[in-house]
Formats: sequence, C-alpha cells, structure tokens
Amino acid sequence: MTATAGPRPAPPPRARWPRPSRSATISIASVAVFFLLWQIAPELGLVNGRFTSQPTLVLKAALEVAVADDFLRHARVSLTAFAVGYGLAMLVSIPLGIVLGTSRIARHMLEPPLMALYIAPTLILLPVMIVWLGIGIASKIAVAFLGAVFPIIVNTMAGMREADHKLVRMARSFGASRFDVFTRILVPGALPSIVVGLRLAIGRAVLGVIVGELYVSQAGLGFQLTTYGAAMRIDRLLVYAIAVSIFGYTMTALVRAIEARLQRWRPE
Amino acid sequence: MAQIEVRDLQITYDTPKTGERFTAVEGVTLSVEAGEFVTIVGASGCGKSTLLLAVAGLVPVSGGTIAIDGRTVTAPGPDRAVVFQEASLLPWRSVLGNVKFGLEMQRWTRDDRTERAMRFIRMVGLANFADYHPHQLSGGMRQRVNIARALAVDPKVLLMDEPFGALDAQTREVMGDELLTIWEREKKTALFVTHDIDEAIFLADRVVVMGRNPGHIKEIMRVDIPRPRHEDVLDSDLFNGYRKRLRAHLAEDMASMHLVEGAQA
Amino acid sequence: MIAALAKRQALILGTLSMVGILGLWQAVVDLGFIDPFFVSRPSAVWNEFLAQWRRGNILIHVSETLRSFALALGLATTVGIGLGLLAGWFRDVESALDPFVWFKYSAPTIAFYPLFIAWLGYGTPTIVAIAFLFALTPIYANTLSGIKNVDRDLVRAARSFGARPYDIFFMVALPGSVPIIVAGLRLGVGRALTGVVVAELFGANAGLGYSIGYFAQLLQTTRMMVYIVIVIILGVILTQLLSFIEARTDAWRVSAAK
Repeated sequence: MTATAGPRPAPPPRARWPRPSRSATISIASVAVFFLLWQIAPELGLVNGRFTSQPTLVLKAALEVAVADDFLRHARVSLTAFAVGYGLAMLVSIPLGIVLGTSRIARHMLEPPLMALYIAPTLILLPVMIVWLGIGIASKIAVAFLGAVFPIIVNTMAGMREADHKLVRMARSFGASRFDVFTRILVPGALPSIVVGLRLAIGRAVLGVIVGELYVSQAGLGFQLTTYGAAMRIDRLLVYAIAVSIFGYTMTALVRAIEARLQRWRPE
Repeated sequence: MAQIEVRDLQITYDTPKTGERFTAVEGVTLSVEAGEFVTIVGASGCGKSTLLLAVAGLVPVSGGTIAIDGRTVTAPGPDRAVVFQEASLLPWRSVLGNVKFGLEMQRWTRDDRTERAMRFIRMVGLANFADYHPHQLSGGMRQRVNIARALAVDPKVLLMDEPFGALDAQTREVMGDELLTIWEREKKTALFVTHDIDEAIFLADRVVVMGRNPGHIKEIMRVDIPRPRHEDVLDSDLFNGYRKRLRAHLAEDMASMHLVEGAQA
Repeated sequence: MIAALAKRQALILGTLSMVGILGLWQAVVDLGFIDPFFVSRPSAVWNEFLAQWRRGNILIHVSETLRSFALALGLATTVGIGLGLLAGWFRDVESALDPFVWFKYSAPTIAFYPLFIAWLGYGTPTIVAIAFLFALTPIYANTLSGIKNVDRDLVRAARSFGARPYDIFFMVALPGSVPIIVAGLRLGVGRALTGVVVAELFGANAGLGYSIGYFAQLLQTTRMMVYIVIVIILGVILTQLLSFIEARTDAWRVSAAK
C-alpha cells in the first residue's frame, strides 16, 4: 500500500521539498511532457496554434512585455488596488473578528449576515461598487476589500472561540487581569487562525482586483488581459495571466512561511 | 494562627444541564500550618479539586470563609500558586517563557524574571531544555515546567491539583520523590490533591480524606513517617497501616457509589 | 438543554439582526441619509421582486444560472473525484498532477477568462468552463486527502483478514473518505456558483450575474438589488444543503464508530 504514506496536512496540497526522488522525477517529467505537447501540437497541426500559442512564443512574449509594454505601470495599478483593499480588510476584520470571538451576543447577532456574505460570491457586488464609486480604482479596491474581509473575520472569530479555558484559568491563578488574559492568552492563541484567514484572503483579493479590471478599467494587469484577449494575442495574454499567478503564489507562500513559523509550537 | 484557615466552607454551583443547584463542598473546616504538607484524597466527585481551586481563589465560595495568613481569599493572589493537573503550558512559549509567565503577571522586573526562571528550571532539571516548546516535551517534563512556574513566583502556599495524575506509574514515583526534595529545600506550605493513596501518604504530614454527596471531610490522618522519606518506606508496616485505613474509607465510598448507581438503574 | 437554549438564542439574535439590517437599510433611505439611487430600499426591492416574479423573469434567470451551475458542478465532481481517487491511491499519479494542482492553486482562474473567450466564445460554454475550474480544486484536494488519510488501523485489520488492495480501496478507503469528499463538494458548490455568476457578469444573455450587470449598467439599482439578494440567498441555500448532507454522512460515521 504505497498510496497511504502516512497522514499529511489536509488540503491544499503543495510542493513539498525535499521530496522522494521518484515523485520529483515524475513531477518534472509530467511538466516536461506538458510543455512538449504544447510546443509540438500546433506544429503537427493537431490544434490551431493561433488559439494555444506555444511555450517558445510565450517566452519570447515575456521578454517583449518585460522590456516594452508598460508592464510595470500596469502591475503598479493592480498592486495598488490589491494592497489598499487587502490592507483595509486587515484593519477592519481582525479587530472585528476579535470582538466577535469574545462576545457571544455580538457573535450571535452578526454571524448570520457574515456567514451569508462569506459564502456568497462577493464579486457580484462589483456592479454595485461601480454604481457607487465609479469605474476608477476605488471600485477595484472595494471588491478586493470585500473579497478579503470575510475570510479574515470568520477565521479570527473561530480562533478566538477556540481559546483554551484551562490556559485562561492558569493565567488567572497568577493574578492575570482581563487585559492580560486577552493579550497574552486569547490573542496569541488565535494568531494561527488569523494567519490562515489572511492567507485565504490573498487569493480572494487578487481575484477581486482582476475581476474588477477585466470588467471595466483603463489600466492594470486585468486590463491588459482583456486587451490581448480581444486582440487574440494569446502569447501575451498568457504572459500576463502567469504574472498574476506568480504574484498570487508569492504572496501566499509568504503568508505560509509566517504560518509555518507560528505553527512550530503546534505540530498538528 | 495557621497559614491556611478554611472554616465551614460551602461551595455550590448551578449544574448546566438541569439548572439545579449542586453542592460540591459542605461544612469543610481545615487549617494548615506554615511549612506543612497536606494531601487531600477521595473518590472522584468528592469535591477535592473544587476545595483546592477555592483556596486558589478560582472558584467562588458560597458559604464559610477561606483565609491565608488571616486575610480572606476572594481572588487569586501572589501568596498562592497553582500547579494544574494538565500542565496548562502556553504552547507558543518556550519552557523559559512559560516559567516567566507568572513572574510577568506579578510584575517582577525584567532582569529578575529570566534569572529567577532559569534558577527554577535548573531546579526541576530542565536546564538543557529552556528553549524547547511544550510539544517537544514528555508529560513528566511538562509537569516539571508546571511546578517550576508555580515555585518561581515565590508563593507562600503551593496548591497542587493532581499534578501527576496523567503520568505513568514510574514517572509518577520519580516526580513525587523530586517534589519532596524541592519542598524540603523551599519550605513552602503545600496542599496537594490526589486520588492515589500511596502518593497521598508518601508526601504528607497529614492526609485529608474526603467523601461524596456532598463533598465533606471524613477524616484527617497524621502521617508520622520521619523525613527525608525514600521509596523503601512504601513497604514498611507503618505505611501499610496508613494504607489500609485509607483504603477502607475509599472502599466505603465506592460501595455507596455503586449502591446509588444501582438504585438509579 | 443548555445547548438547545444557546441555539435558540443564536436563532433569535440572528433573526433579530437580519430584521435589524433590513430595518436600518429602509430607515436610512427613508430618512434621507442615503439616496435610494445608490442602495434602493427593502420595500422597493420586495415590490420589484414580486413584479419580476409575475413576469417570469426570476424563474428564467435562476434556471439559467442553475443550469450552468449544475453542468459545471457535475463536471467538477466527476473530474475532481475521479482524479482525486486516482491520485490518492497511486502516488505516481499524484506526483504527475502535483505541479498543475500547485499552479491551479496560485492562479486566479479568472485571469484566463479572455483565453476561454478566445476558445469558446461568449456564452454558456465559457461560463461552465470557468465555474468548472473554480469548483474543481477543493473537490480534488479533499478527495485526495480523504483517500490518502485512510485509517491505517482499519487497513491493517482488513489486511489481517486477507483483504486485497482492491478490497481495501472499495471497502475501507472509499467509504471512509465520504465525509471529507462531501466537505469538498460543499466548498465546490460555493465556488461553482461564484464562477457562474462572475462569468455571467462578463458575457451572457441570461442568468443572475448577467441581470446584475445589465441593471447596473442601466443604473436601475432596485432591480440590481433583487438579483444580488437572490444570489446571496441561493449561495446560502445550496451550501446549507451540502452541509446537511455532510452532517448526515458524518453522523453515519460516528454511529458506526460506536
């Protein structure tokens, strides 16, 4: 039974280094086969290269985009919307989640609408945001904010609720005040959950910005995606799509690193 | 005046399930002299832990009084420290950080904290583990940290709630031995809850036997075994005598418990 | 008893807060703090809902969205569970898929939307494709982890009775993974719905997302709000449905363990 190689941290699966060489080899081979097929399929006439482009063409397009396509300007526009929306979401959601996690009445009152918005596709509020805020960067910030805010609230709340009552009692036995219990027991205990929320929020905020820019914009990575999509420049379209992916991956990896540090004391 | 004075103590609380008022402890009177080691034994549900936590100031008193050095207990205070049954260590802090916790709460100066914490970590034999986190330690080591944390704040009274209850028999014996050594050096008043008869006798100057429904004191038994004590006393006739006496008490309680449960079934 | 009481408190307070939000919404507009142009008002949204319902528009758009949703979820379930089972059972399959899954995790699917437009044109195929990709990841990931984390004591016990790998897969691994797979489906449901309405927002001839975008462009806030509220309610209903199924599969597992 090679398939059950011991318990693993639940989803999502991610690259685990170093891994056994067999699985690394297979992974590399599988990627290589994919690129090879992608490269030769249009040349063999199996697919229309106009629609799929080719790895070499994408690579070439990447170089072109890097030197002369205003890439940095567009990236800055998107990054600004992301950073502001995500930052605002952090500012709002962590304190709110902490309060909701501590007060049962507040939680019972706000949980139903919060959960509804956590489940619901907040992206559909984009048209509302455009009606309210216009088609500029503000509506993108708003959608990024809306995407990011609920996962952080919900996870912060859960983290505060899971506080260990034995630790609270221990702290009280040493004369800890309510404030001490809050800052030294409840908040540190909730930190790993808060960081999980922050990680989930990244993907949602990136999605919000890109959706906003795809929908209506004059600049940004999403704007470039639409432009090259409409022009059938699949190679450049892919360059931008991959750039967005790399950004999302890097941010997520960053938060994961923090998460791993925090969870050193919690090896489950 | 004794250091701990418990007079006609009553502790009641609402049972969450039925909403009825439940009496955990009633009519308990007990005094413990400074420097004395008193253990409390009894079957589960006899209120022994509740009594201890009330002395700690963690459980509200419904009737009677508890006083430490003549001052009535209403809340936890720096004159007492608790060693909990489950080590209750902060998982995100190292051993050193955990031992420092109590010192931080009681506003010791920053320099004193580290020095003092290290002293007690060395005392419980964990000098090489000061940077470890709780999940890297065995159950016995965690309890050592638990004890070091309580001793570090320099309490007059050390309250221990079945601190070795979750350990295996062998570790338990070693820990009991070490606790006595430390206690003889530190000269703290100790109140120690356990359900293990041998442990209760081995550690104690006096053993308080508690019974159930509601929790009350059945007997207070003086243990006249000279200190320092070693494991060989466990086989002595004197020890066997004490053991028999306590067993009789607990057997009585067990029997009545079964009768009650049988009647309900 | 106390739990039931707490539950009731949650229900009462939750209902109160929902009513409160509606009341506040109505009040701030009625009292003139906010222009109804921006947020409409609950009474107007309700009347508009009735009007749209009578005209049959609601049914048309809801069924259009649900059709794309069902197609996408069906595909994602088939592919996600299929690949998840294979990858969970055969380590080599997992290794082969891992780089792509990893990429899928980091890439916002929607960035590839223009690519799908180029391939499939505007309309249902692109909508279904986007929603499929949205829903695929959690279903695959949960199935994979369900199969991989099969209880090893059970496997050992089964093998001691002479079970072959085939038996272990069907008798132990698969049934044991049902709850976590259903949990993956629950996540997939929410994401499939998001995928459908977002893709509809960009290009469609009917559907809830299309309606929201359409009325937003016309600046008809009340009509837009009608469809936004429907999407939110739909999301809650569908997720609750899966939570219910999840609780049932878990209950079965708990009672089996007793």
